[in-house]
Amino acid sequence: MAETFGIDKLFWGLTFFLNAGLVILVLYRKNVRVFPFFFLYALLDLAHGVVIFESYRIWGFNSATSRNIAWGTQGLVTFARALAVAEGCYRILAKFRGIWELAWRTLVTAGVFVSFYAWAVSRGSWQFAILNLDRSLELVIASVIVLLFLFARYYEVAVQPTVRTLVTGFFLYSCFRIVNDSILERWLHTYATLWNFFGTVTFLASLLLWIWALRLTQQQTAAEPELLPEDHYRSLSPAINARLRGLNEQLSHFWYAEGKKT
Amino acid sequence: MSFTFYTFLIIVALLLTVFVWSLRSTNKQTVPFSSSGVLHDFQASHVMHLPQIRRALAPTDYEFVSKKISPKALRQMRRERRQVALTYLSALRAEFDRLMRTARVMAALSPEVTTGQEMQRIFLTVSFLWRYRATRLILRAGFAPLPQLSDLSNVLSSFSVRLEEAMREMGERAAVVADVVSSPDRRRIHPV
Repeated sequence: MAETFGIDKLFWGLTFFLNAGLVILVLYRKNVRVFPFFFLYALLDLAHGVVIFESYRIWGFNSATSRNIAWGTQGLVTFARALAVAEGCYRILAKFRGIWELAWRTLVTAGVFVSFYAWAVSRGSWQFAILNLDRSLELVIASVIVLLFLFARYYEVAVQPTVRTLVTGFFLYSCFRIVNDSILERWLHTYATLWNFFGTVTFLASLLLWIWALRLTQQQTAAEPELLPEDHYRSLSPAINARLRGLNEQLSHFWYAEGKKT
Repeated sequence: MSFTFYTFLIIVALLLTVFVWSLRSTNKQTVPFSSSGVLHDFQASHVMHLPQIRRALAPTDYEFVSKKISPKALRQMRRERRQVALTYLSALRAEFDRLMRTARVMAALSPEVTTGQEMQRIFLTVSFLWRYRATRLILRAGFAPLPQLSDLSNVLSSFSVRLEEAMREMGERAAVVADVVSSPDRRRIHPV
């Protein structure tokens, strides 16, 4: 276990330096104007690392003060991450005004529903309140990302590779945190050290993805589609749906062919 | 407590599966960045050949032939007619996919979409795909009688006429819009 803790420290240091590298890279490539919330997240995460390191140094790894500081600042970082994910959603769908209006409402509704669900099925004790909150937020982020990509696929919206990679990093990180938090909830004492270690390794993998995605300067303005006049959708969409219903009815005739004959 | 643990594991597995599926390349076109691209998608339907198919599948024809040819030839004819029905099903599917694509691209390029219309389309898609697969399976297995296709052409052609009229009108208006947009002074498309 002590050996694992040593590796844990090594990975933690590596993560910190990569996080600093990511912040510098975003600034150097002038991507801060394109992804302001992502930059905010990376910066807050870096600051979070410094605060945790100092609190551990001053009060020790197992002290209640360190734990409170760690979880308190983690809340802020998670909120910044949610904003960065929302920014990704906006960059993918906002060009398409109509479906964006539909998408953001759907994503917010799904987010609220998922957070209620995650909270409802979690352990009821206060001991696990922060853990449950963290897991709920991660589940919301992961679900919103999946819905976002489903939207993009359904409406055949091309997703910029950089945005896709950034959002994929967030998704993988959130998924792993859900699993990690669930394991911790079940085997709290025996798993605590490993929980930290796996969390760091997952974040390291996400950092590498993000650094790779932002290695080049991104264009600030994406090409905007030429939208149709408003009344086209209102007049044609019901007609297309009626035609689709007609095709459905034709299939029903296959089912009831024998019945009609008699 | 195990229930919670396994529930979350299953949820994550499902999310990962759907995520990978949604990222998978579909080799499909993406939304054209010009409204005129939507209109070229809509072409004449294969399903419009329904009267000919209906004639080929007519039960009276089958009864007449059964008195004239050997049972072996009759079986062959039955197989071929089943093949015709399957081909017709494929045409329905192709028609459905083409309409769906047109509807999706149109929704993506519209400044306002209605949740009701979009939900209805999703429901229709699920319903169609389920019926399509089940019908195809039953036809292939030879459990179902050959379909009676009478009266279907009327249903389809009435929808086609309405839709094609609307599409034609939309095409004319989009041509005017494209003309205005192509003028350098009034460009709406932002340079990349």
